[in-house]
Amino acid sequence: MIGLILLGTFIAVIVIAFVAITQPKLPDAIILSMGVGLAAVVLFVLFQAPDVALTEAVIGTGIGSLIYLMALKHLGEQK
Amino acid sequence: MNIKRDISTTTLSSFTLSAFFVLTVLSILLQNIPQKLFSAGDSLLKLNSDQGVANAVTTVVVYFRGFDTLGEIAVLFIASFGIGLMLTSQTHGDKNKVKSNFMLQLGARLLFPIIILFGVYVMTFGHLSVGGGFQGGVIIASAVLLMFVSSNHFHLSHRVVEVLETFAGISYVMIGLIGLIVVDSFLGNFLPHNISQLGLLLSGGIVPIIYIIIGIKVGSEMSLIVQNMLQRSDND
Repeated sequence: MIGLILLGTFIAVIVIAFVAITQPKLPDAIILSMGVGLAAVVLFVLFQAPDVALTEAVIGTGIGSLIYLMALKHLGEQK
Repeated sequence: MNIKRDISTTTLSSFTLSAFFVLTVLSILLQNIPQKLFSAGDSLLKLNSDQGVANAVTTVVVYFRGFDTLGEIAVLFIASFGIGLMLTSQTHGDKNKVKSNFMLQLGARLLFPIIILFGVYVMTFGHLSVGGGFQGGVIIASAVLLMFVSSNHFHLSHRVVEVLETFAGISYVMIGLIGLIVVDSFLGNFLPHNISQLGLLLSGGIVPIIYIIIGIKVGSEMSLIVQNMLQRSDND
């Protein structure tokens, strides 16, 4: 069962990452990269690294992507 | 995309040459690697019980690699400093300022203390359970971000953040220097850290103190980054 979840999460990470880099609009790509981070959180928990999972959830998925979005807003104002 | 037009041939060939060089050196290094290198982590983890810290990851991050963590804090400070410097030089007014909904304001005000409390918990219990200063600090910064998003009048006092950040940075180095004087190593554990107190809140000597300091520094710096990113455009 755990193996199936692991395999599914691996495939999900790859698929979401591929979809994210092929997005034409940057905000969509940032939101999808948050999805990659969420799937990575599941992977880290399954590999028994809860510290890394918490860090990924907070920094990679949370504030990192939001800082990307804010920077994108600033870039958009400059154009 | 036409590769040949966009990237010059010299760049491509030098990149290929350097990649080949790196691969060769790596293969030579990996073949002649000493067997002891692979057990470096295990020998460190055996020393974990000397510090009386329940979470082995915290011992590695704060004690065995404490100097690296000091460098990471410095990198974060430089990033925050650079964002502040870069965004002050631009002046543009905010045209699409939207007044947020009453429910959003009230919900954010209700959630704010709970998120702060969770961040402080993650920060203080870093040596006992999952988490630590970095994660706790970023959780606090996300609470600040929530307040910024929901309310137009929320403002962080620059003075308070500055004092917190300076205090945290100075006390980290000071604790390291006291360790250098007392135990003969930078960031030496000079407070009592008995193994019999494993699992208590007051255990592990300087490790929880340093993690709380890291939490204060990361929290204030990330909050400052968020404020610079969000509020700079409507201040000036």
